[in-house]
Amino acid sequence: MTQYIDVDVRPILRAGGEPFSVIMAALERLEPGQGLRLYATFKPFPLFAVMADKGFAHSASEIGGGEWEVLFSPAEPAPAMASPNSQPTDDWPEPAVRLDNRDLDPPEPMVRILGAAEQLAPGQTLSALLRREPVFLFPHLEKRGYRWLGGFTPDGSTYELTVRAPS
Amino acid sequence: MTGTRLSRWTMSYFAIAVAWLIAAEALMSFGFGFPAADLASPDTLVLVHIVCIGWLSMAMCGALFQFVPVLVGEPLFDERWEMPALALLTAGLATLLAGFLSLGGRLPVGLWLLPVGAALLAAGFALVVLDLGLTIWRARPPVGPAHFVFAGLIFLAATVTLGSVFAWSLSGHGGKALDAVLASAVPLHATAGLGGWLTLTAMGVSYRLLSMFMLAPEVDGRSSRLTLGLGAAAIGVAVAGGLLTVAAETGLPIVLGAAAALSLAALALYGRDVVRLYRNRRRRRLELNTRMAAYGIASLVAAALLGGALATTGSFAAHVGAFAFLVAFGWLSGLVLAKLYKIVAFLTWLETYGPAMGRVPTPRVQDLVAERRASKWFAVYFACVWGSTAALLVNQALVFRGINVVMLIATVGIVQELIRTRQLADVAAPLRLPDGTQAPRLLYSRN
Repeated sequence: MTQYIDVDVRPILRAGGEPFSVIMAALERLEPGQGLRLYATFKPFPLFAVMADKGFAHSASEIGGGEWEVLFSPAEPAPAMASPNSQPTDDWPEPAVRLDNRDLDPPEPMVRILGAAEQLAPGQTLSALLRREPVFLFPHLEKRGYRWLGGFTPDGSTYELTVRAPS
Repeated sequence: MTGTRLSRWTMSYFAIAVAWLIAAEALMSFGFGFPAADLASPDTLVLVHIVCIGWLSMAMCGALFQFVPVLVGEPLFDERWEMPALALLTAGLATLLAGFLSLGGRLPVGLWLLPVGAALLAAGFALVVLDLGLTIWRARPPVGPAHFVFAGLIFLAATVTLGSVFAWSLSGHGGKALDAVLASAVPLHATAGLGGWLTLTAMGVSYRLLSMFMLAPEVDGRSSRLTLGLGAAAIGVAVAGGLLTVAAETGLPIVLGAAAALSLAALALYGRDVVRLYRNRRRRRLELNTRMAAYGIASLVAAALLGGALATTGSFAAHVGAFAFLVAFGWLSGLVLAKLYKIVAFLTWLETYGPAMGRVPTPRVQDLVAERRASKWFAVYFACVWGSTAALLVNQALVFRGINVVMLIATVGIVQELIRTRQLADVAAPLRLPDGTQAPRLLYSRN
């Protein structure tokens, strides 16, 4: 039976903060075989890919009021966590570039993000504010080896995206 | 979350769709089918199914295969179903049309073509409904416009089911019960198709596309759900209630009255939502697609007013052809053509320049189109639609044909613009194909 450690990032999200580092820190503290129970104010799609990379399967359920409970369970408990090749879980550095693309005509936000991303040094990050989830951008980031994390602010008006260049 | 990939076959759906549209307009220009022939004649059935399945449904399916994943933020349930669905729909439609032609004595082949065509169409639409429906279902709870698409798919299934019953009946295999359905339920089949499937889906899609292309805040979910609820109730009452009256052999006027009242309420709410979208937009200068969409929506309003006026004066049955023409060509075709103009440009831009974006200078989406030239064709198209409707209302079949020739030319003009966009013909030379890009194919996308 998997034991879950609770991480509630709803207060951080409501305050307009970025919960990624808190989640990654909690992940670091997990014992082999333990899972993470995450509470968030939106369904954290972008996190699913990041967690899958780290060997966690997810199961999300809405708990009312648009809030979500997500269980991240170790897919193959001990070996995945103990693997010497597992990705470092350091915090991403502070963004080197900050873009506010909220008032640009689509698809200009995507053009600017890809343009700025190409200028990043290895491992650097950029952050961008958007009106919508940039669904057509993600396949291009993926093809170029970038990683990203994003989600809507609690009021749903702004999508915050962080993109990290391959190191 | 891996985002949304380009749908490989959306352009193929669009290409086949516009080919059927041109075929339909050419037939009307030659005086084939209504109004030269009776509204219920086999020739008119050929025409109506070319327009509703070949043109409108094909274009809608192609758009939805790309749009639904964007809407729900999840990949399509299974991309591999797109092409078989297109093949089945095309083969099914061709067979059904041959069946109608043989029904009218123009082909000697045989009536067995009708149920075979219907079965092929049902198989193709089943793939579409399942693929899109499961995509939405998997991403539940669905967001605003996805509700509309979901309801539209249910009515598509109802339309196909009724149509299959008719096909069996017309081929002489119906039996008494199915023959009774054929005798009275043709208007219900048309209502489910034009109203439930095409109109509700177009409304849902328009909410998102208008807000996206005009930088307007999304319509509040509660408001759009009420619009959908009333609209779906109107069509549901008409179709389900209508079938009950077929069985009970009484009560049709009450059912139609209730459905009409619900439709008007739904249209009023839709109108309010759309006006709000246009008014609250942050992009002040409208692009061609949103200007022309407004003409399409105005045609819907005009159709509602016309329908109301005809019903009150008791002449709806006499002029149902003009009413249906305005709905099919003004509202649905007008909106679809306007949106195709933008969607083709956007998808072509993304396919061609996405891989090189940020690395070399790339053109803007608007550099792929020549709006001033295209807007002339659109203006002529809408003028012809309204002129044709008027000609039908005053029973001027020859004037109708004449206007249709001009409408055909305007449509070919619009299609020519779509092809030029696909060929990057209007992009200035230095930016046209920078390093790392390759020219798109006309009929499908590399994804």
